[in-house]
Amino acid sequence: MHALSKYVAKRLLWTLPTLLIVAVMVFFLVRMIPGDPAQLILGDSASPEELANLRANLGLDKPVPLQFLYWLGNVLRGDFGHSISNGASVLLLMLDRFQVSATIVLVAVALATLIAVPAGLIAAWRQNDHVDVAIVAASTLLMSVPSFWLGLVLLLVFGLKLGWLPVVGYVPFTEKPWTAITYVILPVVTLMLIEVGVLTRMMRASAIEILRLEYVMHARAKGLSERKVLLRHVLPNAFAPTWTMIGLVLGGLLGGIAVLETVFTLPGLGRLLVDAIFARDYPVVQGCLLFTALIYVIVNLIVDLCYPLFDPRVTAS
Amino acid sequence: MKYHNLLKTAAAMALMAATAGTATAQDKTMRVRINADIRSTDPGVNRDANSDAIVLHMVEGLVGYRDDASVAPLLAKSVDVSADGKTYTFKLREGLKFSNGEPLTSADVLASWQRYVDPKTAWRCLKDVTGSSVANVTNVTAPDASTVVFTLEKPTALFLATLARTDCGGTGIYQKSSLDAQGKWVKPVGTGPFMLQEWRSGQYVQLAANPNYVSPGGERTGYVGDKTPKVSAVRFMVIPDDAAAKAALYSGDIDVISDVNNADVEEFSASNKLKVDKVASMGLTALLFQTRDPLLKDVRIRKALLLSLDIPQMTEALTNGQSPANLSVIPVPSPYSGKLQKAVPARNIEEAKKLLAEAGYKGQPIKWLATKFYPSLFDAAVLTQAMAQEAGINIEIETLDWATLLDRYTAGNYSAMSFTYSARLDPSLSFDMVSGNKDKSPNKVWDNPEGLKLINESTTIGDDKQRQALFDKLEGMIRTDVPLIPLYSGTRIGAVRANVEGYKTWPVGYPRMWGVSFAQGK
Repeated sequence: MHALSKYVAKRLLWTLPTLLIVAVMVFFLVRMIPGDPAQLILGDSASPEELANLRANLGLDKPVPLQFLYWLGNVLRGDFGHSISNGASVLLLMLDRFQVSATIVLVAVALATLIAVPAGLIAAWRQNDHVDVAIVAASTLLMSVPSFWLGLVLLLVFGLKLGWLPVVGYVPFTEKPWTAITYVILPVVTLMLIEVGVLTRMMRASAIEILRLEYVMHARAKGLSERKVLLRHVLPNAFAPTWTMIGLVLGGLLGGIAVLETVFTLPGLGRLLVDAIFARDYPVVQGCLLFTALIYVIVNLIVDLCYPLFDPRVTAS
Repeated sequence: MKYHNLLKTAAAMALMAATAGTATAQDKTMRVRINADIRSTDPGVNRDANSDAIVLHMVEGLVGYRDDASVAPLLAKSVDVSADGKTYTFKLREGLKFSNGEPLTSADVLASWQRYVDPKTAWRCLKDVTGSSVANVTNVTAPDASTVVFTLEKPTALFLATLARTDCGGTGIYQKSSLDAQGKWVKPVGTGPFMLQEWRSGQYVQLAANPNYVSPGGERTGYVGDKTPKVSAVRFMVIPDDAAAKAALYSGDIDVISDVNNADVEEFSASNKLKVDKVASMGLTALLFQTRDPLLKDVRIRKALLLSLDIPQMTEALTNGQSPANLSVIPVPSPYSGKLQKAVPARNIEEAKKLLAEAGYKGQPIKWLATKFYPSLFDAAVLTQAMAQEAGINIEIETLDWATLLDRYTAGNYSAMSFTYSARLDPSLSFDMVSGNKDKSPNKVWDNPEGLKLINESTTIGDDKQRQALFDKLEGMIRTDVPLIPLYSGTRIGAVRANVEGYKTWPVGYPRMWGVSFAQGK
């Protein structure tokens, strides 16, 4: 336990330089993009004086390194600043939007795992026969389909043609849980289908490798049933690489599923970031990217800490 | 001088005012698509088109636009202008109330005005009423509870139009409870037909019918006349994706799209689930030239480019046949868009080639900026490139995102670009939009001292005929200089579900949800 605590503390400490590098890169790269938030706010009729005044009000007239130090100082105190577009607190905006993205991503990835793990295992077990071909074909198809296209097709079928589910909008679970479910079914199913493809392929590849190992042959020679061989010997060993993949997928998706959020009109973190980039809303872009990096680091840390549960060879040391 | 047309319905308005507000609204919510979240609810402050559209459901100014973009009284019962054109006396309508039930008096007008002209407020139109461009208001007084007097430094034809401007928040009058104790904006408490119920960032803005709305009566036109709400609530839903908005309209998840793509008109019109309404709009899509560019500073090359284009055919393609070609900065719906403004020169490749030869053009590339953010701007660049090639003009297209294109436009850092201007509702403003001293305002495309003098003069003249003569003269001058090629002023197309009644599209383009209801029994 002591070793584990030390390991977690060490990993968390290591995130600080990572986050600092991210902060520096994000801040300066965002400012290198041509475009001016003041110009976007004032539009085509802005005079040079009005632009200068607004830039001064937004603090954009100060030297960029000074702006960076000021922003970094505030971030260290937990103040991510305020949106240039609507004046809202960036931290509150991010947390509010993150709840939406996280709900969809966590449910979709959990469901995808529940489908992909057995599917990948069965495909590997029945390698090269028609079941395997069918699973590989389906997962390759799902991996290849763009998420926005799949989302739009599901919208058309279940929202428009059949009228079973709403096409746009979002209701928080805290307000009307049942209604909320109807709004997230389509985005969750879309994301789940896309991720099922990736995870099935990963699980199948790992399971094939394990099935070729001597101890599996030994287990079979002992007379164990195929079910027991698969569940007791293949599944735990093949799941470890898939678990790593789930960590990477989660880390990536929790940072926002901008395309799906746009198609399904969900107020998530990804859409917040994309809108902020188009509006050159620097505080929101910086905050979202830093937040995303933090999530990525934390998710990967959690994945690493869970690793010994699936693979006894891995320990904190 | 008296604005007789501002007064003629005053008596009838007062009579109807007492009864109109009592009309019962349907207990239903009308859902309207907006393509992005609003920026704030503070009129004319940190705003964009969506913010203006929603705020103007909640606040009203002394005057407002009619459907044809002319100006009429709104909170004012009458507007008297002194003989020297410097004093405007607004008489307020009787019985006006804010949405919280408090009466509106001239003190509220003064308080709102004082906040507008405080530089700390960062009101968009501050420069337009404090001397730099349109008007200089030197004094505002309230001699009694229902009278407000504005004094201007010199006469201008644009003062009332400026007060009515949508981007100025209609210079809406709000109650003091709109601000907190520190003077910070909280939410609008105005006299409009709706009031703010809930703004959920990134999702929707919901307005509820204002139970204290007092209608002036009269025809519902623009932002004036009877604006009684006919539904209990309106929800403006943020739907950024066009395809999702279209699906939502078909499925009945929303009821109104106020700005339909040209490409969807045919399909929407054929559907028995939907109704489509369209009208010529006041915007402008144009091809801009940097007249200080080493190549394009030669007017013969700019003229050759103009002559190489088949503008009616381009416009047909760019707007799916929804808008006519308009080679003037004055938009088609403007009463000042006459024969001269509507004339479109014929394509003449031979003449173009001749001019290019005279200018010594030898196929040097012209870098053309465009954006796919507005697909029509990219398409305009592609069509220009193809047509100009026939005359031997070599155009290279560079595609940028909208923010970058706007940045390059502002800095004047381009050779040529496709660009779209927001609506200007007076021809003086339309000319001002493209004209100016490039040393001071690099975003201006036409730097002609004589032209600038005439534009300035046009802002001080009230007589329509005299103004038309000036605008005709300016039209001739700008067409000779070819600093830009206007293509079309666009068409505003709205689509609603078949059971929505009373929705009207108008040249200004913003959705207006008062007087709109669901058909009974549907």
